[in-house]
Amino acid sequence: MFNEKSKRRIIKAGFYVLSTALVAFWLIPLALAFFTSLKSMDEIMGSGAMWAIPKSWRFDNYAKVWASIGMGRYVLNTIIITVPSVIGTLALSSLAAFALAFYGFRLNKMILIMFIAGMLIPFQMLMIPVFRFTDSIGLMNTRLGVILFHIAFQLGFCTFFLRNFFRQIPFSLVEAPRIDGATDFRIYWQIIMPLATPSLAALAVLEFTWIWNDLLWSLVLLQSDRLKPVTLGLANMQGEFISYYNMTASGSIIAMILPLVFFLAFQRYFVSGMTVGAVKG
Amino acid sequence: MTKAMFRKGWWVPWSFLALPLAVYLVWVYIPIIESFGYAFTKRDSLLYKTVYIGFDNFARMFKDPQFFVALRNNFVWLLYFVLVPIPLGLMIAMLFNNSFKGNRIYKTLFYLPMTLSFAIIGTIWMWIYSPDAGFLNMILRSAGLSDLAKPWLGDSRFMTGALVAVGVWRQVPYIMILYLAGLQSVPVELVEAALIDGASWWQRFTRVIIPVLAPATIVSITISIIDSLRAFDIIYVMTNTKARAAEVLASYMYTSSFQYQDYGYGSAIAVIQFLITLSFILVYINRTLKAEQESGL
Amino acid sequence: MKTAIKLFAIALVTLVVLGACAPAGDKELIINSYMSDEKPKAVFQSVVDEFQKANPGIKVTVNTIAHEQFKTQLASWLTSSSAPDVVTWFAGYRMQAFAEKGLLEPIDTVFPGGDITKEFPAAFKVASSYQGKVYFMPQSWYWWAVYYNKDVFAKYNLTPPKTWDEFMKVCEVLKANGVAPIAVGAKDTWTTGGWFDLLDSAVNGGDFHAQLTGGKVAYTDPKVKKSLGIIAELSQKGYFIDNATSLSWQESVKPLAEGKAGMYLMGQFIMDTVPAETRGSIDFFPFPIYGGNDKYTVDTPTDGFMLPAKAKHKDAAKKFLAFLATKEQQQAFCAPLGRLAANINVPVPNAEAERGLAMVKGASFAAQFYDRDAPEEMAAKGLNAILDIMAKPANLDTILADLDKERIRIYTK
Repeated sequence: MFNEKSKRRIIKAGFYVLSTALVAFWLIPLALAFFTSLKSMDEIMGSGAMWAIPKSWRFDNYAKVWASIGMGRYVLNTIIITVPSVIGTLALSSLAAFALAFYGFRLNKMILIMFIAGMLIPFQMLMIPVFRFTDSIGLMNTRLGVILFHIAFQLGFCTFFLRNFFRQIPFSLVEAPRIDGATDFRIYWQIIMPLATPSLAALAVLEFTWIWNDLLWSLVLLQSDRLKPVTLGLANMQGEFISYYNMTASGSIIAMILPLVFFLAFQRYFVSGMTVGAVKG
Repeated sequence: MTKAMFRKGWWVPWSFLALPLAVYLVWVYIPIIESFGYAFTKRDSLLYKTVYIGFDNFARMFKDPQFFVALRNNFVWLLYFVLVPIPLGLMIAMLFNNSFKGNRIYKTLFYLPMTLSFAIIGTIWMWIYSPDAGFLNMILRSAGLSDLAKPWLGDSRFMTGALVAVGVWRQVPYIMILYLAGLQSVPVELVEAALIDGASWWQRFTRVIIPVLAPATIVSITISIIDSLRAFDIIYVMTNTKARAAEVLASYMYTSSFQYQDYGYGSAIAVIQFLITLSFILVYINRTLKAEQESGL
Repeated sequence: MKTAIKLFAIALVTLVVLGACAPAGDKELIINSYMSDEKPKAVFQSVVDEFQKANPGIKVTVNTIAHEQFKTQLASWLTSSSAPDVVTWFAGYRMQAFAEKGLLEPIDTVFPGGDITKEFPAAFKVASSYQGKVYFMPQSWYWWAVYYNKDVFAKYNLTPPKTWDEFMKVCEVLKANGVAPIAVGAKDTWTTGGWFDLLDSAVNGGDFHAQLTGGKVAYTDPKVKKSLGIIAELSQKGYFIDNATSLSWQESVKPLAEGKAGMYLMGQFIMDTVPAETRGSIDFFPFPIYGGNDKYTVDTPTDGFMLPAKAKHKDAAKKFLAFLATKEQQQAFCAPLGRLAANINVPVPNAEAERGLAMVKGASFAAQFYDRDAPEEMAAKGLNAILDIMAKPANLDTILADLDKERIRIYTK
């Protein structure tokens, strides 16, 4: 009894020590970014080490970057672009994944490979054709154009990912309702989707972060300042010759907040308190 | 899970697939085919008039030393991007997969590198790698290892390694997320049955957990292969794509197309990159699909 | 679940409405600018506001895109059906390449008096034209010079060198005293463009250099070997700062400001990044004269505007360009930024600029800049070649031979 208890305590202590060390080490670059965001350009270019703790903590950098480049509008634009893209891509890819996971039709394997193959494309190559296509259907310089592209482009990975996780669901759970006479769509919506919540949530978090941080497609498909997302706005911190490192840093940290909040909100769906794994007895 | 799958009307799966497939074809596949077409045209084709030159771009590529530099670097990326983040991501996922208090904070903090834009990641790591005043070399020197304090981003021998390290730094949290999701689907009954059977921790790990994590592993390996061969942002931000020693296929293609205005050549490089990645993935996916069918997973 | 669907539907509809709202203005003017630096952006906006006030019937929008991204997207904009009406750009070959492809609209008439030479220097006409028509409206320009740390020079009793021999002596003294003679941020490859232009035109004359950047002379020509060989010599003597290739141009300013480096060949904008407390110690002198010449050479990159041929609001665009070309507006833009205006009737903004202008007037030859005078690929490969020469001076011959092969390929139509 005593052994059990102290064994647990040691493991628990070990967890905290290890985790703290790991996270502290891993986040050093972030600490540096944080310090940079609080310095003035003179201090950065001056005699101090580039990564030292700021001499004077200029929190007004944050206010400045918010005001000077109109971060508020950029954040709003990014939300307008990212949220529908995530919803759209999850919706469409789950439909496709459902079909690929549970139906034995002839072209199944080929279609799966098609979705995967689409991921292999170096996306820079798509820039010009997609630019021209978007231009030709009149969606150039609209956020909708960007959204549609993101939904389409992310389908490859999301379908692949979800299909794999769907396959893990015990078939009995799928077959039984069918025998009871439920329609296939019903099964998809009421059985599979709830069961797949961990993977959907994880996917949502990843997709949100990616699309939020996308620079390239917004650059290609948007010209107007009033439609730009945060990434493009931050890129403009890079002057013709001079980079305002401290502004880029503070702007990036502001931009980081929403994906972080999203992560916090959704992570409980794919990380429950289940103790399956390393740390049990 | 059995192999049996629905066998209703043939149109049922297609009704699910119709919209996603249509969107994918229109927005992704047609542009792909179009861009591959450019691989056979001359440099000014995009802006001016299309001139077909057959396989000339490919012929030039195979004599281009820079292309082979890019190719070699991509394989370095491939190697480290698959070998390091996957075991590491798995271990960290398992570390964090418990109900200890404060767990959530660790997970969230660890996830932060993923939320940062490449612009700032690049800048910070460039300072970490800076030869004289950089963080890394400062630490090495104060630990008495001055010999190891190299010009990481200035020396062609170390550039790619330094860049891959940044990529891995960012990739590990990503793999961790995939595995955290995967660990949710490990049935507790299986683990407990193994416990009752007297299996050791290691046996439980290898015989129960790893097999059940197969979907997450497949996705992780696939995505690591693809991302390593597609690596661009880090190299773009940290070396301005003009440092040729760190070149990879994606950056070379970008430079050729958008800085040299030679879209034809850039597209040709893209075709080759696609074919290389495709061959890796096909082999891997085929094997796993076959294994799936055989094990009835 | 049902609510989820409802919300999703509402979101989708809102988006379609939002997305479908494409700008549908008759009287509109869309300007794409790469002036993303805080001050130039603000000053430009105030000029635009002036124009807006004078023309209330035209809705003017300025879109700002960071420099690097702007350069990669410009070609796409010029060929698309939603091309902007006015874009910022550089004079020289980079502009002429677009004119050649029919992507630009001629703008001879927007200049005061209908002719560019009335209020703009004749030299600018060449860099702004293609086949006799003017396609570029110059607004401001700046110079490249050798910036040096006065305190360091004073410490070792040095004066700004006028000839190449004097320059080499200065380097020797600095090196002997542990100061890096020449700072250069070679990680940003364009920084060596200044060396390429000024050294080659100093050694071989401006006309030869213009031929070289125009692709008419081989890089293996003995004259080129002579001028670029000097870079090899500087490198072999260790006159360039250590680890130059790891330093961005901005990072290389630090050693200059701190007195760890003596000189830095750079554009006038370097002063914007020198920390306030050291600004007083930094000054500049013209690039040294080589051999028996009696005048030095300069680089004078010129910035301005173009009108895409596919623009939808050409009349408004021409009005705007005419507005910008007047001496009042040129002054309004250049004075707060301390830049030199293209219009000759604009007074010089400050003492430093006056010296710069005097320097340029006293030069025998002015180039735009290597990467504006030559096609991008040629410039990129040329700049990389210079880096190679700096790293491995002994390979000068092979580097030049390889570079010339590229030249032949790039310049054949």
